[in-house]
Amino acid sequence: MRYRTPPIDKTKQAPTADAGITRNAQSRQPLSVSLNDNIKQVKQALGNSTDIIIKEITIGPGPGGGLPIAILYTDGLVDKQVIIGLMESLMMDTALTKRLEQDSAARANIVQILKSDVLKNAEIQEVTNFEALYNAMLSGDCVFLIDGLPQGLSAGARGWTDRGVAEPGTENVVRGPREGFTETLRTNTSLIRRKIKDPNLWVETKQIGRVTRTDIAVMYIKHIANDGIVKEVNARLDRIDIDGILESGYIEELIQDATFTPFPTLYSTERPDVIAAELLEGKVAILVDGTPFVLIAPAPFVSFLHSAEDYYQRADISSFIRILRYVGIFISVLAPSLYVAITTFHQEMLPTELLIGLAAQRERVPFPAFIEALMMEITFEILREAGIRMPKSIGSAVSIVGTLVIGQAAVEAGIISAVMVIVVSITAISSFVMPAYNVSIAFRMLRFPLMVLAASFGLFGIIVGIIALILHMCSLRTFGIPYMSPLGPLVPSDLKDTILRLPHWMLNTRPRLLNQQNTTRSKQTPPKKSNE
Amino acid sequence: MIRRASCILLILVLIVSLTGCWSRHELNELAIAVGAGVDKKGDKYRLSIQVVDPGEVASKRGGTAASPVTLFTAEAETIFEAARKMTRTAPRKIYFSHLRMFVIDEALAKEGIGPVLDFLSRDHEFRTDFYIVVTKGSKAEEVLKIMTPLEDIPSNKLYFSLESSEKNWSPSLTVTLDELIQNFTLKGKQPVLTGLMITGNKKLGKTKRNIENIETYSRLQYSGLAAFKGDKLQGWLNDNQSRGYNYILGLVQGSVGHVPCDGEGKVVTEIIRTKTNMKGRIHQGQPAIDISVNIEGNVAEVSCRDLDLTKQSTLTEIEKKSEQKIKGFIESVIGKMQKEFKVDIFGFGEAIRRAHPAAWKSMKEDWEERYFPELPVTIKVDFKIRRLGTVSNSFLNELEE
Repeated sequence: MRYRTPPIDKTKQAPTADAGITRNAQSRQPLSVSLNDNIKQVKQALGNSTDIIIKEITIGPGPGGGLPIAILYTDGLVDKQVIIGLMESLMMDTALTKRLEQDSAARANIVQILKSDVLKNAEIQEVTNFEALYNAMLSGDCVFLIDGLPQGLSAGARGWTDRGVAEPGTENVVRGPREGFTETLRTNTSLIRRKIKDPNLWVETKQIGRVTRTDIAVMYIKHIANDGIVKEVNARLDRIDIDGILESGYIEELIQDATFTPFPTLYSTERPDVIAAELLEGKVAILVDGTPFVLIAPAPFVSFLHSAEDYYQRADISSFIRILRYVGIFISVLAPSLYVAITTFHQEMLPTELLIGLAAQRERVPFPAFIEALMMEITFEILREAGIRMPKSIGSAVSIVGTLVIGQAAVEAGIISAVMVIVVSITAISSFVMPAYNVSIAFRMLRFPLMVLAASFGLFGIIVGIIALILHMCSLRTFGIPYMSPLGPLVPSDLKDTILRLPHWMLNTRPRLLNQQNTTRSKQTPPKKSNE
Repeated sequence: MIRRASCILLILVLIVSLTGCWSRHELNELAIAVGAGVDKKGDKYRLSIQVVDPGEVASKRGGTAASPVTLFTAEAETIFEAARKMTRTAPRKIYFSHLRMFVIDEALAKEGIGPVLDFLSRDHEFRTDFYIVVTKGSKAEEVLKIMTPLEDIPSNKLYFSLESSEKNWSPSLTVTLDELIQNFTLKGKQPVLTGLMITGNKKLGKTKRNIENIETYSRLQYSGLAAFKGDKLQGWLNDNQSRGYNYILGLVQGSVGHVPCDGEGKVVTEIIRTKTNMKGRIHQGQPAIDISVNIEGNVAEVSCRDLDLTKQSTLTEIEKKSEQKIKGFIESVIGKMQKEFKVDIFGFGEAIRRAHPAAWKSMKEDWEERYFPELPVTIKVDFKIRRLGTVSNSFLNELEE
C-alpha cells in the first residue's frame, strides 16, 4: 500500500499547538534551591488552579531555625488518609526533629533521611525538575519540596473515586466470570494478574499523550508471546504523538494496520477472562488508563466471532452457537440485498405461491423494492442509534414509536410491504448475534453498498460485491498476521478453534501463526475413567 | 491516491448508472402467467394466457368479488408475436417464468406442435418445469376459462391434480418441456401427452357460479394419453391402455385395480411399488422385446364372501388374477399401437438400440413401418401381495345372509 501514509507520521510532522505549553524549556528546568521560587513557579505554571494544594510546614527546631517544607498535591486525586499519614510522620517525628537539631549534616542529607526513615510510604521517588514534579503531582502523587535543596520527593498517594469492578455492560455471558475492567489502569492490571500468576506475565508501562499523559500498559506473557509482535506493538505505540488519549479507541486508530477498512484489526474487550485467554494464546494486551476497554493485538477476523462463553459451555453447544454466528453474518449482510435482487431481477427463483404472495403485498407499495429496503434499513439504523444515545427515561417511548414505524402501521399505510418488515427484522436480529459490536456495525454498513449492487445488477452484483469483500478481507493484516487466518492462509491445526470449538483436551497447540516457540499448550489426554 | 480513488469512484458511478437496473422488474409490474393455451385459428395462432391477480388470490377478505385469474388472448402468425401483441390488452408485461400448465389444442396437436414448442424452449423466461397437456374435445382457450373450486388458480388445480393422479391413479402422466423435446429427437421413442377434457356445462363453468355451488357445473378432468408421432397427434388411449403404457415404462408410482372373486364381489388391490425391466434382443435376425413388470400391492378392499385371506393359496390366486389383468392392459396398448397407430411410444426402438446398436442402425429408418408392428413382445408380470391392511378376513364372511 504505497499510497498510504501512516497516520502516526502525519501527527508527528504537523506542528502541534500544545507543544509550546508542555514541552517548553521551563518544564524541563531543574528545581531551584529556593522553596519560594519553586512554589512561585508551580503556581504560575498551573495558573493558580484551585485543586492544587500547596501546604507549607516547618519541621525541626524553633522559629527561624526550622526547615521549611512544602507539600504539593492535587485535590481529588489523592487519598486524604495517606496525606494525613505523611504529614503526621513529618511533623510528629521527634527523632527527626532531634536529628535536625543535633546533626548539622542532617539538613543536607534530609532527602535521604526522609526517604529511608521518615516517610513510611513504599513508592517514594526523587524529583529534580519541574516536569517530573508536575507529572507526579497531576498523577495523584504527593510532592515534598524542601527549602535549600534543588530536589524534592514524590510519594505515592493516589486515590480517587473509582467505579469499582462491576459486571461489564457489553459482552454478556450466561456462564462465566461477571467482573469487568474499570477505568483505573492499576485495577485492570490487577484483574489480569489475578488470573495469570506466572512471573512471565510482563507489564510495560508508558505515558502517551502530550497533554493528557495517559498511562498505557502493554501486557504479555514472555516466552509465549511472539517477541516480534511485542516489539512491533511497542514500536507503534512509541510512534504515537498526539495531544490526548481519552480512550483505547485513540490508540487503536493510531496503531492499526489499515485505516480504510470497515473491519477492526484490534480486538477490544471489557472482560479480564478474555484478555487472559488471549494472552495465553500469545497475544499482546494494551491497557489504557481511563477506559475499561482493553485492546488485543493481533486480532484476526475469527476472534471477533468468538465469545468468552464459547470456552465455558460444552464444546458441542459452543460449536453450534459459533456456526449460528457465521450464519448470522451472512443473513445480516445479505438478507436485504438478496430480497431486492430476487424480487426485482430473479422472480423465477421463487416458488410460484410465494411469488404471488409477495406480489400481492407489493400491489399497493409505491416504491421500488430497493427504495423500500433502503428506507427501512435506514429507519432501523436510526432507531438503533437513538436507542443507545437517548436518556434511559424516554427509552420506552422510542421503542413504542419504533415498532410502529417498522411494523404493522407502516405496512397498513401502504409505504412498505409486510415481507420487508420481516427482512429488516431478521437482518437486525442476526446482526446482533455477533459478540463484537464493532464487527456487527461493520457488516451492517456493508449491507448498503451490497443493496445498491443488488438493485443495479441483481445476484450478479451481489456475487461481485462478495468477491470484492472477501478479497479485501484477505488483503488485510493485523500486526503481521493475515487477517483471515486460519482461514485465509489455511492453517489446519488452528481450525479446531475457528468455526468449531473442539473440547479443551484437543486444543493442545497455540495459534501457529502467532507462535513460533512454545506452541504446545497442554499435554492433556482425553478424560477417562480411572481403573477400578 | 486521490486520483486513483476518484477514478474508481467514477467507474463505479458510470457502471451503476449506465448499465445498472437492466431488465429489472418490480413485482407489482409483472403479470404472472400461470397457464397458457394455444389454439389454431385459420393460419394464425391464438394464444391465451391465464394471469394471476395477486391481490385477489392473497386477499384476506372471504368471498372475493373478482376472479383470482384473468385471461388475455391475442392472435398472430407466430406465438411470440401473439405474446407481445398481448400487451395491447394486458396492463403489465406478461411474465412466463411461473407458468404451471401449457395447454395445446387438440386440433393444433393434429397439425403438429413443433413450431409452438420452439418458442417455449428458446425463450429464457420459460422455466421448463411446467406440464404440457393436450385438450380432448374442447379448445385450449375454453379450458383456461373454467373456474375451479379449492384451488383459486385453475392452472394450479391442473398442475396439482395431474401430479396427484400420476402418483395415485396412474393413467395420466406429467410431461415437461424438456422430456417432450427429448422424445421428439429420439428415433426409437415417440412422445405422449396427457389429455384434458371439460366435463359438464362449459358455459356455466366459465362463470363464477361454477364455484359457488357444492357440485360444480363443470370440471376439468384428465382422461387418457395422447400418442404422438413426431409432433403430430395420432390418437387417444383409453384409461386402461394409458395405465398399461405406464406399466411398460415403469412410471406407475401407485394405482388401484380390482379382480373378481370366484363368487360375486371383487377384491381391490392397491399398488404400492412397481419396477419394470424392458430388454431388447435380436432373435434370428429379428428384434424382440422382453418386458418384466414386478408389482407389489396391498389388499385394499374386499367385497366378496367366503374369501379366506389368511390362506396363502387365496393370495396366490388374487396375485395370478391381477397379473392377468395387468398383462391385459399392457397387451391392449401394445396391440393398439402396433396395429392401429403404428407409433412406438414405448421406446422399444430405444431398447433395441441399447442392446444392439449395430443392428439398430440398419433398422431405425423404417422401424415404425416395418419392424415395430411385427415386433414380438414377451410380457411377464409378477404381482406380489404384501399386506392385508388392518384386518385379515373381511367381516363380510361372518355376516348372516
